Amino acid sequence: MEGLAPFLQNLSGGLLIGGIYALIGVGLSLIFGVMRVINFAHGEFVMLGMYLAIVLFVQLGLDPYVSLLIAAPAGFLVGMVVQRLVIARLVDIPGDSTLLVTLGLGLVISNVLFLVFGAEPKSIYLPYATRTVMLAGIRLPVAQLIAGGVTLVLITGLWLLLTRTELGRAVRATAQNRLGAELVGIDTPRIHALVFGVGMALAMAAGVILAPLLFAIPTAGASYTLKAFVVTVLGGLGSVPGAIGGGLLLGVVEFMGASYLSSGYRDAYGLFAFLLVLLLRPEGLFGRTVKRV
Amino acid sequence: MTQGPDAPRGAAPAARPPRPSLLASPWPRLALVAAAFAAWYFVFPSALSLGITLMLLAGWATAWDLLGGWTGQASLGHAAFVGLGAYTVGVTAANFDLAPWWAALLAMAAAALLALLWGRLTFGLRGAYFVLSTIAIAEILRLVAINERRLTGGAVGLFIFDLQEPFGLDLFSRHVEFWFSLGYLLLVLVVVALVTRGRLGYQMRAVREDEASAQAAGINPVAVKSWAFVLSAALTALGGCLYGVFLSALQPQPLFELHLSVRIALVAIIGGRGTLFGPLVGAALITLAAELFRTTFAQANLLIYGLLIVLVVLFMPRGIMGELERRVVRRRYAKSARG
Repeated sequence: MEGLAPFLQNLSGGLLIGGIYALIGVGLSLIFGVMRVINFAHGEFVMLGMYLAIVLFVQLGLDPYVSLLIAAPAGFLVGMVVQRLVIARLVDIPGDSTLLVTLGLGLVISNVLFLVFGAEPKSIYLPYATRTVMLAGIRLPVAQLIAGGVTLVLITGLWLLLTRTELGRAVRATAQNRLGAELVGIDTPRIHALVFGVGMALAMAAGVILAPLLFAIPTAGASYTLKAFVVTVLGGLGSVPGAIGGGLLLGVVEFMGASYLSSGYRDAYGLFAFLLVLLLRPEGLFGRTVKRV
Repeated sequence: MTQGPDAPRGAAPAARPPRPSLLASPWPRLALVAAAFAAWYFVFPSALSLGITLMLLAGWATAWDLLGGWTGQASLGHAAFVGLGAYTVGVTAANFDLAPWWAALLAMAAAALLALLWGRLTFGLRGAYFVLSTIAIAEILRLVAINERRLTGGAVGLFIFDLQEPFGLDLFSRHVEFWFSLGYLLLVLVVVALVTRGRLGYQMRAVREDEASAQAAGINPVAVKSWAFVLSAALTALGGCLYGVFLSALQPQPLFELHLSVRIALVAIIGGRGTLFGPLVGAALITLAAELFRTTFAQANLLIYGLLIVLVVLFMPRGIMGELERRVVRRRYAKSARG
């Protein structure tokens, strides 16, 4: 039973980081599912959340878990504004214009962060968050445990919103058939703005809970965008429950690959999994069918 | 133009619709481009490096446009082919003392093969799968370049300090590199001009406009997209070889990076997708703007790219040359309608 404890250690680490990936991926998948927009600025919003937490911590001494209460509404508002001002103009145009616009927005955000904060990595030091808890022979860092808890709460909240409320029903209707939704009186432009806002709120919240865990670098946004894509493709493009499964899977694959194969390729394992899924099951591990040519 | 059997013989067609500028002969303008860059060599002898980077970027973007503009499959992973070209020259020169021209052929073949497999994997799927996979594959190649230290020198990089000389030309001289880059740019422009005016070009545009209708007309979209991708990849890799020699110090960071892929794509989009000279115009504009703002914005010059791309997509979705072309065509139609 020698290999079991390290295995469980890796598994728990992978699941906890995977929860955060899921949180990032869920927003991307929701936006794609409802609006058919691929948001290339998603990772940059994660970085925006991280830097917001750092600024609030350094300037006001605010605990990052408290600043969640500021970051999530802020993300929601910024997302609504971006959607109304930029993306709403392009939603009905076929082709990749929304993809390019969000790519441009991402570049603007990451370079503004670069101009404001500089290139050197920044982080938050929380004495209580660096401790670890022993649980059945597994070491669990407190910051990761809190991150896992917050993720669970947020995703459950989103789930309840989507399945238990009239608003959630309108969102699902818009995702299934936009014209049909409009015919029964749903204000789909409003739903779009709302969904984009929720996606950005989730991304910024993910950034905030990552702040005590990782160093913030202005240009790191692209790698989070990439991870979010991997998560959504693993789970099926546009599927919210799929994104949760995809996120957890990505975390575990990265952790296991890094510790049993080669740590240098840590970021590549997820990409290999992504390519494998494209090859074998493009509808995603948990998704429905996709259109083939 | 062949007349159909029903066309009235003898009677000259009253008002023949003007030829869209798409079909206007590109050769005079190509000669103009060649002359302009040749003049650059003699007028700005101190700015040869700038000219080389401009011509290489223009060449990559023109090659990108074959797939991203003419066929409508935007790629955000073309840095993979640039890096592949550069590293092929570097690795083969350092380990096997292979001549750079053979290395260039090898790199083009490797890029074509990679594109073929990659197209197989993703072109059969509709939606955003292709563009997502392009980022993933470029990223995997970057990680390979960082981790396979024995071959690529890892993150520290690889130096090219000795190359066989074609016809006694020193490839490390900026003067020689300038003319090679000009030759490369012209080659890409000629290939794209020929391809887009031929049968494949029409098929590419048909696939771009409406895949289902193209299929109904007997076109195999997967095959057309794959051909466009293979050509685009091989041409980009050739430019990557030149870039590798130009840099002579190869590092995974600038070569395989997403930023390079984005820059290649944005230059083509700003200049005008699906136009022969759009990517060149975009590259010239962006390179000169970046040169002007270099001191003000230092490393954040991608901020300008970001703003430009948002503005172009919102207000000028056809790009600079695309808008110009449309205006010219409209004016000609208006003229012919007046008689």
